[in-house]
Amino acid sequence: MIESPWPEISFEDRIGTASFNVHHTAHIVVDGKVCADCSTRECIVACPANLFVPTSDGGILFNYEQCFECGTCYMVCNREGAITWNYPEGGYGVVFKRT
Amino acid sequence: MPDVDVIVVGAGPAGSCAAIVLARAGKKVVLIERGPFPGSKNMYGGVVYPRILDQLIPEWWLEAPIQRWVTRRSTMIMTDTKALTIDFRSQAWGAPPYNGATAYRPDFDAWLADHAVAAGAELICSTTVTGLLHDANGHVSGVVTDRPDGELTASVVIACDGVNSFLAKQEGLYGEFDAANYTLGVKETLALPKDVIDERFGVRGTDGVDIEIIGCTGGVNGGGFIYTNLDTIAVGLVLKLPKLAAQKQRPEQLIARLKAHPAIAPLVEGGEIKEYSAHLIPEAGISMLPTLAGNGILLAGDAAALCLAAGIWLEGVNFAMASGMYAGQAAAEAIRSKDTSVAGLAGYQRRLEATFVLKDHRKLRRAPELVLSDRVQHLYPEFATSVAERMFRVDNPEPKPGVRKIVAQERKRVGIRRRDLAKDGLAGLRSFG
Amino acid sequence: MIGVCLKWVDRRPEPAGVGGGPDQPDERFAGVSAADQAALEWALRQRDLAGGEIVAVTVGPAAADAVLRDALAAGADRAVRVDRPFGAPSRTVADDLATVFAEATTVWCGDYSFDRGTGSVPAFVAAALGIGQALGLVAIDVDVAGIGALRRLDGGRRERLAITGRAVLSVEGGTALLRRAPLRGLLAKPVIDVVVPAQRIDAAHPADARPFRPRPRAFAPPAGSTALDRIRTLTAAGATVAHGETVTLDPPAAAERILSALREWGYI
Ligand SMILES: Cc1cc2nc3c(=O)[nH]c(=O)nc-3n(C[C@H](O)[C@H](O)[C@H](O)COP(=O)(O)OP(=O)(O)OC[C@H]3O[C@@H](n4cnc5c(N)ncnc54)[C@H](O)[C@@H]3O)c2cc1C
Repeated sequence: MIESPWPEISFEDRIGTASFNVHHTAHIVVDGKVCADCSTRECIVACPANLFVPTSDGGILFNYEQCFECGTCYMVCNREGAITWNYPEGGYGVVFKRT
Repeated sequence: MPDVDVIVVGAGPAGSCAAIVLARAGKKVVLIERGPFPGSKNMYGGVVYPRILDQLIPEWWLEAPIQRWVTRRSTMIMTDTKALTIDFRSQAWGAPPYNGATAYRPDFDAWLADHAVAAGAELICSTTVTGLLHDANGHVSGVVTDRPDGELTASVVIACDGVNSFLAKQEGLYGEFDAANYTLGVKETLALPKDVIDERFGVRGTDGVDIEIIGCTGGVNGGGFIYTNLDTIAVGLVLKLPKLAAQKQRPEQLIARLKAHPAIAPLVEGGEIKEYSAHLIPEAGISMLPTLAGNGILLAGDAAALCLAAGIWLEGVNFAMASGMYAGQAAAEAIRSKDTSVAGLAGYQRRLEATFVLKDHRKLRRAPELVLSDRVQHLYPEFATSVAERMFRVDNPEPKPGVRKIVAQERKRVGIRRRDLAKDGLAGLRSFG
Repeated sequence: MIGVCLKWVDRRPEPAGVGGGPDQPDERFAGVSAADQAALEWALRQRDLAGGEIVAVTVGPAAADAVLRDALAAGADRAVRVDRPFGAPSRTVADDLATVFAEATTVWCGDYSFDRGTGSVPAFVAAALGIGQALGLVAIDVDVAGIGALRRLDGGRRERLAITGRAVLSVEGGTALLRRAPLRGLLAKPVIDVVVPAQRIDAAHPADARPFRPRPRAFAPPAGSTALDRIRTLTAAGATVAHGETVTLDPPAAAERILSALREWGYI
């Protein structure tokens, strides 16, 4: 593993460089009951926006606000019904500028 | 009577080109985009190959929002401590009609959509298409949007809704879903002064550089890239989904790892992150191709998995623009002959087969699998770089070993079977040759 | 007539460069604030309940037509743009708006915009029209009989208002969520009246064009024989300081007192 020669920025600062026009309702819904007995938890490592966070009681905490709407989570998820994935309402969600 | 002739879903390169063609053919066309403006949801590595635009916007280079013209293209094979680069440059690529160009998608896609509007297409932004309408015969007859009173009918719907295409899936045009057909692209746009970029990358003016990297993605199969914009650089990775999900490093950690590589660090050092972004790529080419037409519906661009992606080889925008253009032509033709069934829309597949869109895909059909294979990803970089290292190393007083000997020794040391090497070599020749 | 003021601004401006004034917004990232959206929604609710014609107005360049198209799609009856370059001073903007709203019974505004607005436009509009004002409303109740509203005061206090006559109302963003424009609304061809004001004023008031800095003031060196003493004097550490000053004056004298204090502190 190569060590970074300069400190990386925090994830909050990183995701803060992108813009999100957040809608008041979630476009992705995660069923915590299904996740509770999932041991592989692909979403936690794969989601580029780091929206899936394991909780101490073995559950998964999910935030929809700073989502790139890429689709990685539902594609890597192995559990039927765990993730209900939609695009946010038109006009809301991520807005790229220099991509 | 339907409300309009054609509804194009998604104002990416595919959708805008479809709309340009249809509007110029005098068809009433509505282009629906879910983002607040075209390009706002779109992210890619960074190089467009716009020659296909010669057919739609003559001298497009005079007005397209281009950052730099790629005159230098490097392919880098690396391990944690070594790197072997093939570096090519051509000044011809810095003058009309050019070859590749770096551009920001929120600029490029918005510009292309402006041409659709100028041609007479109606652009509706901030509106997500949530489903398809069907007539009594089960033919697609329009779309449902997320707006009140949100249904709209048309003779043909062209789905240009990108890699996740829920419309194509809803219509059953895709075969069985397999996450292994997709890669995740993540990138950082890093700000650096223009003269620093010019100096580090050895270019001047609006000349730019495209670096593709293999062997930089840790245990995950994929590839890396660096592209120069005017005063930013794009540094990113393309990661095979199942492999990414099966290990422990997060995407941004893998980028940090690439940025720390001794061959990369001097290029990116001090760059301030201006934007972090991510997007999926349909990576499997022809082997994941959906049915491209249904009754009253066509698929174009990433929605049809027409992105030509083979690890480090990434051409999607040109395939999207071309397929969108041909879909527009086929739809106009079908409406003229009053047959928008699959049979009436057959001109689409015919055009794709006759041009680079499907010809290139067929030629490179083995490439995605080969480039992302475990051997190419995890064994060949070590093999190639250590052969180079030994060729260039002066081991006095030992005499120089012959190249053939080095190759044989290193192959054995790295653990590549001769049979596999021959097989992959042949596959490479067949794909790229 | 029910008036709505909509300011076209950059919703994600780049940080202004050194000495940077209000730049022309990037059209793709421009729009109106949540507060302006709420203002439009209240106008729509008022009309749906009590009738009337909604006129949405923006002061800005041609690109600002976008916010009027959205307002028409959402249900505004008429749209007017007063043609001025971006960044006209608040007074000018308010005078322009007042010209269009000469007949308006109610004028709805957002209480702030995204850029560094002062929130003074609604008050200027009310002054120009010579009608009442209720600014910074945090809750509104539209009724056939009139409008009830709750206004934020200093110190967490609230003021309850019953608005019956002509008035300019400015609302906070959280008071209402703008309804989603129907698809047909977006497909309809918008008609926007463009008013070209007779007297042209330059894009930005010179005084607006740089960040505010209080004037430097000269201080006598602090008294004290040791460095510690001098620092104590300078920072007033340990001393009991009077927090403000309460005076009772009639309005003209009070205004004069405020001005002299601001002058003394270097603000004007
Ligand atoms: C990391 C990465 C690097 C890449 N690098 C390159 C490269 O260097 N060069 C290159 O040529 N290609 C590259 N590509 C591929 C290229 O980006 C795509 O192939 C191309 O964008 C496809 O164009 P499209 O029009 O088909 O789809 P998109 O560009 O994805 O456009 C789809 C549009 O549809 C809209 N949309 C989606 N769903 C709906 C809906 N339901 N309702 C309304 N609107 C909707 C979206 O908002 C979007 O605007 C890269 C891709 C990635 C992810």
